Amino acid sequence: MRDTTPCNSLYIPFDCEITAITDLTPREKLFRLIRSDGTPLGHLPGQFVQLSLLGWGEAPLSIASSPTREGYFELGVRQAGQLTTALHRMKVGETVGVRGPFGRPFDLEALNGEDVLLISGGCGLAPLRSLIQYCEDRPQQFGRVTILHGAKSPADTLFKEELARWEASAEFACHLTVDSATGNDCFTGNVGLITSLIPPLTITPHRTTAVIIGPPVMYRAVIAELKGKGLGSDRIVVSLERQMRCGVGKCGHCTIEHLYCCQDGPVFRLDEIEQLRGAL
Amino acid sequence: MKQLTPHELEQFLSHLAVRYELRLPILLADGTRTIGSPDDGSVVLHGGAVPGKPTAAFFPQQDTIFTASQGTFSQTLPPVKPLCILGFTPADLHCLRFIDRFFGDGMRDDLYFRLRQGAVVAGITGYCGVRGALLPPAGGNCDFELFWSGENWLVRAYGATGAELVAELPNQATPKEEELFTQALATAPDSGAILLQTASQLLRTNRVPDSFWEEIGERCIACTGCNVTCPTCTCFGVLDWRSATKVERSRTWDSCQLDGFMREASGHNPLGSAALRSRRRIHHKLAADPLKWGEISCFRCGRCDATCPTGIGIMAVAQELVARFG
Repeated sequence: MRDTTPCNSLYIPFDCEITAITDLTPREKLFRLIRSDGTPLGHLPGQFVQLSLLGWGEAPLSIASSPTREGYFELGVRQAGQLTTALHRMKVGETVGVRGPFGRPFDLEALNGEDVLLISGGCGLAPLRSLIQYCEDRPQQFGRVTILHGAKSPADTLFKEELARWEASAEFACHLTVDSATGNDCFTGNVGLITSLIPPLTITPHRTTAVIIGPPVMYRAVIAELKGKGLGSDRIVVSLERQMRCGVGKCGHCTIEHLYCCQDGPVFRLDEIEQLRGAL
Repeated sequence: MKQLTPHELEQFLSHLAVRYELRLPILLADGTRTIGSPDDGSVVLHGGAVPGKPTAAFFPQQDTIFTASQGTFSQTLPPVKPLCILGFTPADLHCLRFIDRFFGDGMRDDLYFRLRQGAVVAGITGYCGVRGALLPPAGGNCDFELFWSGENWLVRAYGATGAELVAELPNQATPKEEELFTQALATAPDSGAILLQTASQLLRTNRVPDSFWEEIGERCIACTGCNVTCPTCTCFGVLDWRSATKVERSRTWDSCQLDGFMREASGHNPLGSAALRSRRRIHHKLAADPLKWGEISCFRCGRCDATCPTGIGIMAVAQELVARFG
């Protein structure tokens, strides 16, 4: 039996303290974290971390806040399994482990001066929020910013207050919809699929880039609508969800043909992946 | 090139064991062989490839990532003496070269290199395959190779470490035996390489219909033997083991032939059918890896074909695929 000793490793998480927890929906919470050593996470919009709870393992989670909001980072987490259930039980002041940030972020240079169309469905708003906040904080870097978001129902809608703020903002055009609503929801907004928000838009294809993040079922339908508006595959960006176990291109769980979602993605330009089997 | 009698080889191995933790093919009680410590069984270098994944020497089936106790992380240290592994066939050495690239690329996998760094690797070649069949000389990819001529072990070194280890051996190979090595080196590559290249081309040009994978998928019983024995399969899962005083996080080999391999928290499963999983197993080696790494990542070691109870190892599938769509 070999000895053990403390040492550095790709796989050892660093401590982060939970400084705030916000209920987003009955199933989703927003965790605000700071690194216990006081250093910034150093992320860019679109990246993810491996969140580590000792005894429960690790899970890949998208970073939901922009690096322009300095001093902390946020993770929007749906309670879906053992690890996320344990996380949902945690309190402010407790410590979690984090590795990262990992993955290819949004290409902010390519978006410079572009009209951006930010489209999310369901939980996809959490990772997209990192880019929306960036646009909010650096408006001079972008042309017209349009946000489209679709949720299953009013109750399932994440970041309601921020959505309301973005709807009211002069900086953004923001359109929301829900798949269905009942009378009990007292909901007066749009009811319909996310695709229903696209036809009324006026898009200038040669200076517009669309970003899509949502459940797998959403991508093809939204892409078809965008292509109908004249957007080419080189002007459509997607962020893909995969079950990364390591985040560093070794475990093999996130491969899309020859690409590793954790390293080559999770952000891809559509023309990089649309021909790859199983990507969308 | 040096030469050792079987008795001199024993002495050479004892000499190596002073500096290195020796691992080589040993006989198990069930009559099979594995790469293990000479303390755990009698050494049997003849008989060709061992049935198990030889690269497990550096990528073990289960490996502790860290142990966390009272707020402190600790990791397993490298072995006191570096490993010296004998018993890789030429195909196994190609596999090792490939996964050295894989684990070293981008973010270097410190768990793999904890064992691999400083290790000595020796190939076993010559007329010591199954029933004396020729294992062609490796010609590289190792620190030295032992080539069985039928009477003696010829020793050829590659690189500085191998040269240093072999330099002390007193006897030069005879010209006759050196000639035997040279002739074996000139042996034509087996037809399997061409078969895999053809299959790779068919896959990369999308000439294999989904119905083929449905047929292969129906024959897969998800025993995972293909992945477990494959020297270039490197997928792993991560699991925490809890006890009263500590948490041990470990990684364990995983198999793309299992339904849960890619299933996401949302329930979405990019490999949600046996057909897709079977395609992934073959496509990854023959089409995806050539795109990413510039080479097919199956080196025809034969283990998955020998292991698969339903006859859908990679060579069998490639043969069927080429016969039907080539």
